[in-house]
Amino acid sequence: MTKYVGQRVKRTEDPRLIKGLAHYVDDIGLPGTLHVAFVRSMYAHAKINGIDTTEAFKAPGVVAVYSGKDIATKVGPVPCAAALPDLKVPDYRVLATNKALFVGHPIAAIVATDKYAARDAVDLIFVDYEELPAVVDVEAAANGGTIIHESFGDNVAYKLTSGEGDIDAAMKAADKIVSQKMVHQRLAPIAMEPRGVLARYFPGEEELTVWSSTQIPHLLRTQLALMIGIPENKLRVITPEVGGGFGSKLNVYAEEALLGWISIQLGKPVKWIESRRENVQATIHGRAQVGTVEVGVKNDGAITGLRYNVVADLGAYHQLLTPAIPTLTGLMLSGAYKIPAIQMNVTGVFTNKMSTDAYRGAGRPEATYVVERVMDVIARELNLDPIEVRRKNFPKADEFPFHTATGLDYDSGDYDGALNKALDLSGYQSLREEQKKARDNGKLIGIGVSSYVEICALGPSQAMPAGGWESATVRIEPTGKVTVLTGASPHGQGQETSFAQIAADELGVDLNDVTVIHGDTGIVQYGIGTFGSRATAVGGTAVLIAIQKLKEKASKIAAHMMQCEASSLSFEDGCYTKKEAAAASVTGKSEPVVPVGEGPAGALNDVPTPTNGRHKLTIQEIALAAHVAKEIPPDTEPGLSATYFFEPKNFTFPFGTHVCVVEIDKETGETKIVKYVAVDDCGKVINPLLVDGQVHGGIVQAIGQALYEEVVYDEQGQLVTGELMDYALPKASQMPWFETDRTETPSPVNPLGVKGVGEAGTIGATPAVVNAVVDALSAYGVTHIDMPIRPEKIWKLIR
Amino acid sequence: MIPPADAGGTDYSMKITGTQEIKAPRERIYAALTDPLILQRCIPGCESLEETIPHNYIATMKAGIGPVKGIFKGSVHLEDMQPPEHYRMIVDGKGGPGFVKGVGNFKLEEKVGATVVNYEGELQVGGVIASVGQRMIEAAAKMLAAQFFKGLEAEIKSPPDPLQR
Amino acid sequence: MIPAEFNYARVSTLDEALTLLAQNEDAKILAGGHSLIPAMKFRLIQPPLLVDIGRIKDLSYIREEGGQIRVGAMTTHYQIEASDLLKEICPLLPECAGSIGDMQVRNKGTIGGSLAHSDPAGDWPAAILALNAELVAVSKNGERTIKAEDFFVDLLTTALEPGEILREIRINKPNGRTGHAYMKMHHPASGFAVVGIAANLSFNGNNKCKAANIGVTGVAAKAYRATGVESALTGVNLDDASIGAAAAHATDGADANGDLFASADYRRHLAEVYTKRAIAAAMKSVPSA
Repeated sequence: MTKYVGQRVKRTEDPRLIKGLAHYVDDIGLPGTLHVAFVRSMYAHAKINGIDTTEAFKAPGVVAVYSGKDIATKVGPVPCAAALPDLKVPDYRVLATNKALFVGHPIAAIVATDKYAARDAVDLIFVDYEELPAVVDVEAAANGGTIIHESFGDNVAYKLTSGEGDIDAAMKAADKIVSQKMVHQRLAPIAMEPRGVLARYFPGEEELTVWSSTQIPHLLRTQLALMIGIPENKLRVITPEVGGGFGSKLNVYAEEALLGWISIQLGKPVKWIESRRENVQATIHGRAQVGTVEVGVKNDGAITGLRYNVVADLGAYHQLLTPAIPTLTGLMLSGAYKIPAIQMNVTGVFTNKMSTDAYRGAGRPEATYVVERVMDVIARELNLDPIEVRRKNFPKADEFPFHTATGLDYDSGDYDGALNKALDLSGYQSLREEQKKARDNGKLIGIGVSSYVEICALGPSQAMPAGGWESATVRIEPTGKVTVLTGASPHGQGQETSFAQIAADELGVDLNDVTVIHGDTGIVQYGIGTFGSRATAVGGTAVLIAIQKLKEKASKIAAHMMQCEASSLSFEDGCYTKKEAAAASVTGKSEPVVPVGEGPAGALNDVPTPTNGRHKLTIQEIALAAHVAKEIPPDTEPGLSATYFFEPKNFTFPFGTHVCVVEIDKETGETKIVKYVAVDDCGKVINPLLVDGQVHGGIVQAIGQALYEEVVYDEQGQLVTGELMDYALPKASQMPWFETDRTETPSPVNPLGVKGVGEAGTIGATPAVVNAVVDALSAYGVTHIDMPIRPEKIWKLIR
Repeated sequence: MIPPADAGGTDYSMKITGTQEIKAPRERIYAALTDPLILQRCIPGCESLEETIPHNYIATMKAGIGPVKGIFKGSVHLEDMQPPEHYRMIVDGKGGPGFVKGVGNFKLEEKVGATVVNYEGELQVGGVIASVGQRMIEAAAKMLAAQFFKGLEAEIKSPPDPLQR
Repeated sequence: MIPAEFNYARVSTLDEALTLLAQNEDAKILAGGHSLIPAMKFRLIQPPLLVDIGRIKDLSYIREEGGQIRVGAMTTHYQIEASDLLKEICPLLPECAGSIGDMQVRNKGTIGGSLAHSDPAGDWPAAILALNAELVAVSKNGERTIKAEDFFVDLLTTALEPGEILREIRINKPNGRTGHAYMKMHHPASGFAVVGIAANLSFNGNNKCKAANIGVTGVAAKAYRATGVESALTGVNLDDASIGAAAAHATDGADANGDLFASADYRRHLAEVYTKRAIAAAMKSVPSA
């Protein structure tokens, strides 16, 4: 029965968001709250010879000032959960102690009675900096020069080789080696709501509550407990409304620990809300790889092997997953293709910049870009149609599960199917004809295609540093209302709606009777969080199985109440029915049934309607009976709730094909996207509206990378795209109409058959756009152009 | 035709070059360009310039572009002095809006009845001005350089006041 | 991002504002606030006093008077964009207004505030120059008119003296066969003009250009009139060749600036291309005789 699953159900979250009634961290006001402002380094690399806080202390409203030396030994380092062989892990203190290592590095924290006083006092702190040469160019940094962390001896954090197959033999077997150097520029995630923390310590109860705008409340609780040194069961993390994360809040930040610690010191609530400038400087960045791909190909386009040598710009320190992100690139280098041998050699390098970490796609967009970009380079080299090169190397639909030379087993797929649908929808053949005509008329039209695969539903615990399962508790309250507690932590994805759809269908109740609760470690059982397109595939499955467990118990209670065997009950539309009674009802002999919601609505001390002789009971009636516990079978626990921790056996592998058409202004180099077609396959769909939203948003961010966005540090390590007047986020007015469609290949990995869709657009779309631009410029002999494709770059190539 | 990869650390630092012709003998201009009193009056917004050791000065500048103003404290240092042909000026200032560092090479060439001052400088800015003012920095630097030379020209045109020396 | 402490005065008459300005040399006028407030939040501008002139009556208007169009300094971009009167008699103003920033900016930002701030990439300066506008400044000492070409002095610097407030913009009503256009390349992040070209052309009975006024913004430290283009167009029959030749003078005498998004060379090139396009679009906009 799917009354809700598969339907375009409007998001139940939206009314409060649209009306401004939602509560973000900054909307939570506690009496007596003190406010924190940070002094941050204006140098990329500098020795801190001293910090003069005298004036700041004297300023009106200032309560306390902390510098790195004050707390060096009191708060533990910012954690890195990535475990790689021989990984160098710098000691990342919550405030800089001896050296500042990036612009925005927090140096001192000021606590004041209001945020204005705190900010004013920032200008009264005098830091005696001794500027050091900044390490900015990642390729140069890999080879020597100034060392950021002197004790390491160089700037290389790690080197790692991954992949399967005999790469040298594969390259020898090729007719041709095609290679291309590519830059994946540094991006800033720019969630609409910046980070924010409110911490309150009750000295009597010795309890600390931290409200934080995070994607991982439970993991944050564990890490903060360790950093601050407070028992984990005395620490509660609450994630109120979160205005987007894109991976940037899948982290544990210095400020979160520091605020908690300060609250304990002062015994008062303390709050810090990140400004947009701080957000660009000191919230993690994404991408930032420079690599060269080499592909061995036969003359017919068949790939024999792929090697990717890449230098990853890690920034000055490791945040939670910093060094692990490029390893995800390595996992996905097979793309949608059969490649017998793959090797990635990655060098992770420290630079005087903010750390890179998971940003929507997290390592996978880089892989897709490498693979999809080089497919076009191969087509050009071999004078083949780029579509044919892709088809030549696709695994066929009956080859799944498909093992890749990156060590993955793709669950299910029909890559040709999605490609064909995208070609049909875009009218690819006629586009090519139009392109030719346009060229004859002196117009530059380009068509780009990208057939991607991504790794979603992260993931099996074996592959994840802190566990890859997800949890759910489902309760039916005495009044029949359904409460779902999920360990996932939605922050814009709409899982209050989609999980309610799953629960409402599975329990046969009204959608409005289901409430999904998340993001409060004081209420919700331990969970992992929302990232890596995992919440529905892993967290949604946990909800489903928890309900199935709950229904097992409910059916036992129902059978007891109706004095029959559980096996003789059927469940439909929220009612347990004796099978013979169901049969009887067909012949018109059914008894009157108490309407849903009326029977059990009375006070709890009302004895429930005697059920003797009844042949049909609603799940709500059973819930009440379970709670008043007078009519439940012996040896049965009262109450009606179930918890399930779902451990997936594999990742899931959504896929699809995007087609992008651009027109380039020959005189100015401006690129305009004139058509965009996306065919995505994310397995079964719970809510097509949410899937469309994810695809749209993902494509927008991908276009942002292709054409507009870049975090720029100058030669001195100054961050010169410091706010949104220079950092070019994509805007609605710059976007084309998206024509979206789907194919549906269920995943065998989970009973919902879902795969995940949160990152598909960001992963699939970037190469489609760049391929289109390069295609348009092919008449000028252009074979590659690095992102972001600012108009001046094109002008320089074709003038 | 593979464009070079721009891998970050891109050179967006500001280079200013220019030529200024001033109708005065080279020695006179060289003397003016290295005279702290004249420098103080010509450096835009320079409120004080105190010599610590020869050719090294501590300066306070109230630099402003329209309504955007900032007080910078720092040093001015002259080196590689080859009168009357060449010298180098190094400026280093810190203030609320960030920091400014500049190196300028001044080359003086004789021309009939005039001197041509060729200058080429490199400017680094940091802090708020770097992170939010990028699009105006070049124009601002040129504006301040122009003000400097305008002041210098005025100084040289006005007859030397022996009492000031 | 929190500004430094400042005093705030909301005045109800121009005279009150002028008195406060006369008393406080570093006071700033708050009009729409869309340039001033961000700069204050970065603490790049730290005025001791903000004089909010938003409640002064009769600073926001668009009217025809004495053969002139008169626009009050506090008229918002949106009011200009939506003005039926201007669409009829001076379409360059609504066209330019519609290309500014985004809806939110246009609803709050004002023409007077924008001109007085004189952002090197602001849109209005180009249009105001192309229309040969006069700017009326008022101070304790009375009123004076400043020609558009004298108004923009340098980066973020205008001819307004301390104590003066820009009160009104006056434009002679275009007559005869005239054509206008404003063409710009939007900066993808800020929406400012990477280059912006305003063309105001008048024609004889044929395609012969009687007079040309070309305003250029975004290229240099301040907006300027492209006089080289203007003289190359004047008295000439306009066709692709003559327009192209004239546009080549778009940056004559201008000191083009570069930034992260566009180098000085590229800006010069864009200025030429957009000048060509603005002239062509202005020609197209001429009502057929």
